[in-house]
Amino acid sequence: MGGLWRPAWRGFAFCGWRRSPAGRPTSFAGVEQCLKPGRSGTEGAERGLRQLGTWRRPSLTRDLVVQPPRRPKSSNPYTRAQEEEWRRRNKTVLTYVAATAVGMLGASYAAVPLYRLYCQTTGLGGSVTAGHGSDQIENMVPVKDRIIKVTFNADVHASLQWNFRPQQTEIYVVPGETALAFYKAKNPTDKPVIGISTYNVVPFEAGQYFNKIQCFCFEEQRLNPQEEVDMPVFFYIDPEFAEDPRMVNVDLITLSYTFFEAKEGHTLPLPGYNGSQQLSPASSL
Amino acid sequence: MSTAMNFGTKSFQPRPPDKGSFPLDHFGECTRFKEKFLKCLRENNFENGLCRYESKEYLECRMERQLMAQEPLEKLGFGDLADGKADRR
Repeated sequence: MGGLWRPAWRGFAFCGWRRSPAGRPTSFAGVEQCLKPGRSGTEGAERGLRQLGTWRRPSLTRDLVVQPPRRPKSSNPYTRAQEEEWRRRNKTVLTYVAATAVGMLGASYAAVPLYRLYCQTTGLGGSVTAGHGSDQIENMVPVKDRIIKVTFNADVHASLQWNFRPQQTEIYVVPGETALAFYKAKNPTDKPVIGISTYNVVPFEAGQYFNKIQCFCFEEQRLNPQEEVDMPVFFYIDPEFAEDPRMVNVDLITLSYTFFEAKEGHTLPLPGYNGSQQLSPASSL
Repeated sequence: MSTAMNFGTKSFQPRPPDKGSFPLDHFGECTRFKEKFLKCLRENNFENGLCRYESKEYLECRMERQLMAQEPLEKLGFGDLADGKADRR
């Protein structure tokens, strides 16, 4: 493409030169050529002017040799090699940067299943307390100067006809001490009923310190007609409760249980008790 | 569960119990121990620390009758009571 423009540019340059009063050495031969009428160079120049636009004119005095867009600017072989080298390096860097960007995007998408896998293997599963086992219970020391009142609440879903109530209204515990509490449930109907319960702890922030060792929740409990049973809850409050600055004013914790009826074929999305399974009425005690 | 479904507020996450669920005592085998424990609580103004011996007995009853997995008492937080009823605060 550069070659095509060359004659047109040259003609144009010489014609423009003639018009501009620049103190540059003129080439009389070129001027005379321009002045001759009907010269093909003039028409080519006009064609070039029309196509390129008049703003090209100021640079014409320098660019006597037509430059194609991609040729290196200097004609010196050493600097040209250096420019080639820079261009190649730029391309490499650009490739690396683009690859990193794509890699980051892919990593952000892959992070979701990977994190899930990590949680499954290490068993952290979103819970903060990692060392949460029977060793902790064994070694924990009751904080005797911090007495907390735990009140009990019992609720029943409307469709469940059990009489469900706590057997003590409150209990005073200290953090680090295991405690036992009882609920009582009676089935006054003439049919066996299967219930399943969940619990709630108020205030919410204290709920993370409330650890149940054993209870009757999240598993189906079957009551025969006219049967009445005691349901114990064995729990403790984590000793770190006493060291949490947000818990300084907390003296009352309310444990609230709610029973629902477990119907056949009705699965309840309860927390990962049996290894993140959905509980269905088919599972037994 | 929190009833107000506000976006951004953390809702309560119930956690499963550490050792699972108590099997139901359908035949009332440990009811006597439970009554003793509740009587102790009522007498002591519902202070759990004073009735730990009774709660230990209730759990031992459950363990004997296969209503609870056998565990050494230390693991249930009764380490101080395992040496006899010395510690009564």
